[in-house]
Order: sequence, then C-alpha cells, then structure tokens
Amino acid sequence: MSIRLEHVDFIYMQGTPYEKQALSDVSLTINKGEFVAVIGHTGSGKSTMVQHLNGLLQPSKGKVFIEDVDLAGKAPNIKACKQKVGMVFQYPEHQIFAETVFEDIAFGPRNKGMSEAEVEQQVHEAMDFVGLDYETYAKRSPFQLSGGQMRRVAIAGVVAMKPDYLILDEPSAGLDPGAKEAIFERIMKLYQARKIAIILVTHSMEEAARYANRILVLSKSRILMDGTPREIFLHHRDELRQASLDIPQTVQLVELLRQGGLKLPEGLLTEPAVVAAIKKVRGLH
Amino acid sequence: MLSDITLGQYYPGNSVIHHLDPRTKILGTLLFIIAIFMATNTAGYIFLCVFVMAVILASRLPVGMVFRSLKPLAFIIILTMALHFFMGEGEQVLFEWKFLRITQEGLAMGIKMSLRLVLLLLISSVLTFTTSPIVLTDGIESLLNPFKRIGVPAHELAMMMTIALRFIPTLIEETDRIIKAQTARGADFSSGNLLQKAKNMLPVLIPLFISAFRRADELAIAMEARCYRGGEGRTRMHELAYTKVDVGAFVLIVVVMAIMAALRWWPL
Amino acid sequence: MQPLIELQDLTHAYTDAENNQVLALQKLNLQIEQGEFLAVIGANGCGKSTLAKHLNALLLPTGGKCLVNGMDTQDESHLWDIRQTVGMVFQNPDNQIVAAVVEEDVAFGLENIGVPHAEIRPRVETALKAVDMSAYALHAPHLLSGGQKQRVAIAGVVALEPRCIVMDEPTAMLDPLGRKEIMATVKKLQREKQITFVYITHYMNEAMQADRVIVMDHGQIVMQGKPAEVFSRVAELQTLHLEAPLAATVAADLRHAGLSLPRDIITNEELAAALCR
Repeated sequence: MSIRLEHVDFIYMQGTPYEKQALSDVSLTINKGEFVAVIGHTGSGKSTMVQHLNGLLQPSKGKVFIEDVDLAGKAPNIKACKQKVGMVFQYPEHQIFAETVFEDIAFGPRNKGMSEAEVEQQVHEAMDFVGLDYETYAKRSPFQLSGGQMRRVAIAGVVAMKPDYLILDEPSAGLDPGAKEAIFERIMKLYQARKIAIILVTHSMEEAARYANRILVLSKSRILMDGTPREIFLHHRDELRQASLDIPQTVQLVELLRQGGLKLPEGLLTEPAVVAAIKKVRGLH
Repeated sequence: MLSDITLGQYYPGNSVIHHLDPRTKILGTLLFIIAIFMATNTAGYIFLCVFVMAVILASRLPVGMVFRSLKPLAFIIILTMALHFFMGEGEQVLFEWKFLRITQEGLAMGIKMSLRLVLLLLISSVLTFTTSPIVLTDGIESLLNPFKRIGVPAHELAMMMTIALRFIPTLIEETDRIIKAQTARGADFSSGNLLQKAKNMLPVLIPLFISAFRRADELAIAMEARCYRGGEGRTRMHELAYTKVDVGAFVLIVVVMAIMAALRWWPL
Repeated sequence: MQPLIELQDLTHAYTDAENNQVLALQKLNLQIEQGEFLAVIGANGCGKSTLAKHLNALLLPTGGKCLVNGMDTQDESHLWDIRQTVGMVFQNPDNQIVAAVVEEDVAFGLENIGVPHAEIRPRVETALKAVDMSAYALHAPHLLSGGQKQRVAIAGVVALEPRCIVMDEPTAMLDPLGRKEIMATVKKLQREKQITFVYITHYMNEAMQADRVIVMDHGQIVMQGKPAEVFSRVAELQTLHLEAPLAATVAADLRHAGLSLPRDIITNEELAAALCR
C-alpha cells in the first residue's frame, strides 16, 4: 500500500524560453499510515512533486506507481488508482461551485460512481470529520459561509471520496490562529480514525514538527532530506539554515538555553517537552 | 498546458521598432494590412515577405518566437490553403479524382491567401511583442480621442483593455488550477455529447466567474485607494510624441504602399 | 502635536445578507502618531479590515468621526487629500496591480492625481528604489514572486508620498521569504521616510516588531500597548483565539509552576537571558 516515484524529472514549458526544471531525479515511497510534511521554498518543486502523486502531472522522465500500478501504463484500473489519492489545493474554497454544501461535497463521490445512499453517507461522515453539523449546513449555500467554514466544505469534498492518501497543500494558509488550530485538529482526527496517509505541504516548521512523523525537505527541485522531524530538526539544523529554511521556535529556544548553560537534554521538539525539561533542571513540578 | 499561451505578450527590448510611437505602429500596421490586400502577383508577395522579414530583424525579437505566434491559428491557415487548393476554379488541371480537382490557379490562390494571413499575423505579432500593453492602449486611446465628441468613451475603453491584458495571465493560471482541482475530484471534461460537455464545464466556470468578480471588486477598491477617478485630469508617464524616426517610419510605409500599387497596376 | 489619525467614537454598522444589523466597529477611540508602526491583530471578523478602510475614506463612519491629519473623512472636498495622505496595501497582490509592466503600475497613482509628466519618472524610480525593486522596473508583474509583487504594490503607494500606509494582511498569501521581505521593507520605510504604518496581521512575530499593538474583538479594542505588554498576557490572548509567542507561553507555564520571571518576556532571547542568569 504505497505511492512510489522512481527517478522523476519534470520540466515546465519544455521548448519555450520559460523552460524550467521543476523536479530532478526524485525517488520516494509514501506508505499508507504515514503523515508526511513536505517543506521547502516556493519554487523548490513541492507543489510539482505532490501533483505527480495523483497523476495530475505526468513526469517528463521516470515513473509513478500507485499501489504498484504504473500511471503511464495501460492497466485498466489507472483511473481508480488515481482516485485513491485525494488532493486539497491551496485556497480550496475557491473551487466551490454548487448551490448547496451537500451538492458540492457530493461532487467527488458521485464522480467516483457511488450509489446515492453511499454518497449521502459519505457526505455526512465527511461533514462530521471537518466539524460542520449536517442538519445545520447541508442545505445551506456554501457561498454564505465564513472563509474558514468554506474551506472546511472544500476539504470535506475531498474527504468524502474516501481517499487512502490525502494531500493537503497549505490547508491553513490565510486563516487566523484559531481557525488554523481547528483545521489541524480535524485533520489529525481523520488521520487517526481512517489510518490513511497524509501528505502536508507547508511553510510552517511548527506545523511540520508538531503533526508529521516524516519530513521531506525539497530544495532546488531535489529531495534534500528525508527523515523523522527529530532527525531533521535536531541533527540537520545547519543544512536547513544553508537552504535558508527556518527551524522550529522550540528548537531555537532549546539551542539558546543550552548555549546559556542550562543543562537540557537533547531531542526536545514539542512545547510541553521543553517546559517539562526546564522544570526538571530547575527542580520544579 | 494553458499557461503556454503567449497571447498579447510583450517582449521588452531596445530596437528601433520598440521605440516607435505606438500610434505610428498601429497606423503603420493598418496601412500594411491594406498593402497586403493590394498584392496580386508574385513580385508583390515577394516584396511583402522581404519587408516583413526586415521588420522582424529590425525588431531584434527572437525569430523563432515570432513565428511560433502563428501556431494557435495554424489550423485556419491550413484550412484556407486547403479550401483554395480543392475548390479553386481554373483551367490548368494538375490532379483530378472524383469530385476533387486541383488546378494550378487554385494552388497559386491557396498559397497567396494563406500567405496573406501569415503576413498579417506576423506583422501584428511584431506590434504586440514590441509594444507594452499599456503603451499600446495609450496609443489606441490617443487615436480614438478625436471621436470622443461623438460619444466614444476613449479613456474607459483603453482602461478596460489595460486591465484585461494585465489579468489574462492571472486568469489563465487560475483556470488551470481549478481544472486540476476538479479533475482530482473525478470531474470528466471529455466524455458525453455537446450538452453534457457544457454541463461538465460548470464546476470550472462557476468558480472562475466568482473569482473574476471577486478580483474585479478588489481591484476597483485598490484603484480607488490609489486616487483613480476616471480620465479627467490624468497625466501620463509615457507621453506620446512623434519623433523623426516616426516620420521616417511613415515615409517608409507610404513608399511600401506606393511600390505595392506600382506592382499591382504596372506589373514588371 | 496633533496625531496623524484620530478616531472619535468611530462606529460602523451595516445590514448583512440575512437582514441583521451588524456593528463592525463599536465606538472606537484611537490616536495614531506620525511615524509610528502600529500593529492590529484579532481573529477573523473582528473588524480589522473595516477599520482599515475607514482610514482612507473607502468606508465612511455611520457614527463618530475619523480624522486624518485634521481632515474629516466625511468631508468630500478632502477626499483626494485624504487618499494621498493615507495609502493602502491589500492582501492579494494580484488584485491590486493594474498595469502589465511594473514601472507603469507604480506610475498609476501619480497619473491619477495629475502629477506633471516630467516628475512622474523620477518619483517612480525613487519609489522602486525604496522597496528594492529597481531591477524589476520593466518586468511583467505576473512573473514575480508574491513578495516582489507585494513590494511593487507598496511602491505604487510610496510614489504618492503618503504620510501613512495602511496594510491589510499584506503577508497572508506570501511564503516565509516574502513575509521577511515585506517586514524589512516596512521597517526601512518607517526609518528612512518616517512613514506611519498601520499593519494588520495574523502573524504574531510580525506584530512583535511594531511600536504598539492593538488587539480587536467584536469591533472593539480589547488590549493595547507595547508588544511586550500585550504578548505576555498569554491567557487573555488564548481566550481571543490568538496565539502568544512561544517564549511567552513557556514563561507563563514556568511562572505557574512557581518560578519567578520578569513579566514582559516575549522572545526566545529574553527567556534565555532570564533563565540562564
């Protein structure tokens, strides 16, 4: 149960003066059950890379497999395979089109060929997952909702397709801190309940450190690093800085405290862990 | 991909053609189009081709790029050629099969007609490649100004064109993104009959319209915040002024027309 | 000295889609001094954007007054003076750039107010230089990065030589690099041209760099003061669904456990200094 990229190259606008290599020799495997954060600068190839994971872009060179099916091959189930991968684009609320919340969320499941009863059940479940009450919102027009609510409708539209892999491209962009927190709480709930793979594209090192169990760092169209948050943020700080990426606030704080002579253990990544460690060296409870 | 379209794209440069007044270029292009339609014989066409090549070289644009601008209309060019090949009347039959008949006259006519189209497209691409959209609209506004008295809203038309040109790439990008997003949700844009296909486009068209309206709204506010209040009392960064080079260009285009007229009525 | 902007019981009421009367701003009182960098934070829908639009008369008060450099925004004869005094930069850089060439966009405002032809180019060049975008004068905006586009938008306002620039979440759609560029530009303009900034943001680390922070909730100012005063009030920020900086949160937890720490810790450096003495 995995998505696999093998030596993927991608070149934008090949043969024009604007030609640009967006991916070079990218190989990776993403297994069901992983929570992968993809970090890197704008132009590092992040968005291009994730668009290969469900066949929206075809590699200029190399191969993409979903559950061992070659997307460029002739297998009859290619379309079904692509639909195992859900994709939530940046500002997904800008893709809402239907008259009611229900109709918009039902678009994907219907395209997938589910029966009406199944569609309704999936819409219901998806709305639960994103925290929108079915009775209150299903019949409302999505265009009268607040920005945060519209985004949840859009995410529900992808969740309702029951993807085994869910790609989220900066799902919290432009939201206030409260709404951000709420969106991630829902994503985590979904991740834990359905045991799917989440691929999160983000600029926030805090989000990557807090939610992911694997981090991919892209730089200049290549995979620069691939490892657990702990490995990347604790042992590769200099490489991150060289790629002018930030490191999480918690890691920066611990670095400063250790430089100042406070005897904190290595490997602290989350805020509660940092607080607990400081309390311990100061003999507090 | 949609974003490969180079419609109305400006290619900055420093050539004589870039520096001509936009009005010269617009009027010159119009006059040249008249000259194209004056061509009847081979000598005339050869002369036009040489002239267009000379203009392209003088503009110092990448020649390949100028010719690529023909691509979107290649179908129409080929169709024109084919229609004349097979439908052309004439005595000198070269090839005949059932109702298809290719005559020498038809062949010549096909080549001439498609050549006219090609020349027309090339010279207009030189115009848009060498003139920034704003300067181009300034030129149009200035040329339309005399018609203001009969109620032509010259400034408003020009501002509309400016904004349209500015937003074409943005909206193309947006369309591309929405199509991808709906494709990822299993949308199918290719199957079904015409009506079904039109219906399938709704998930793209509705968000696109909504976004265009939102953009228009935000842009209007941003323009107001920057003191925009219509054409009244506006000044210009690029004030249009004819120079000696423009006079030269006009003389040249008149000479071209004279030669074309000469070739037409007193062929060599 | 008279403040540059003065709000007196500023109220803004409107009717929403379901015919309910909504008070976006409720009797707001605020003075903004010349040269100040004021950050405005608050959850979505708290009235921040409505406030911004009052400052250059894009919206007019339904109650109270908004005075810009002594001019009442309700007085139509001052409209263009007010808009030249207070410029605005919006969230989406794509939707505020009018022209298809950078320098022509920067000239747009100057052309609107009828600046003589000969003066336009030098002012455009100065403005582009002020935001470090001179090298891009002839570029097409849609090929620039988000941060660069937003700097073009700032240049378009700077060219009008305003005394104040209101920025409504200018970095919300930018990546971390773009956000840093905008912050650096703002500070440079404040320092070199003494421009006053009213800066609306969701990013606490941006607001922390301001001279003063106001926190809004339901159309009212609920907290204000220097960043250290506002951001160290961790519990209050959390009830408003706002994020406190990491150092302030950690300090609050440690204080709670009985450690005595200075009250106004908001940066990692300050916390490290206090803990490692």
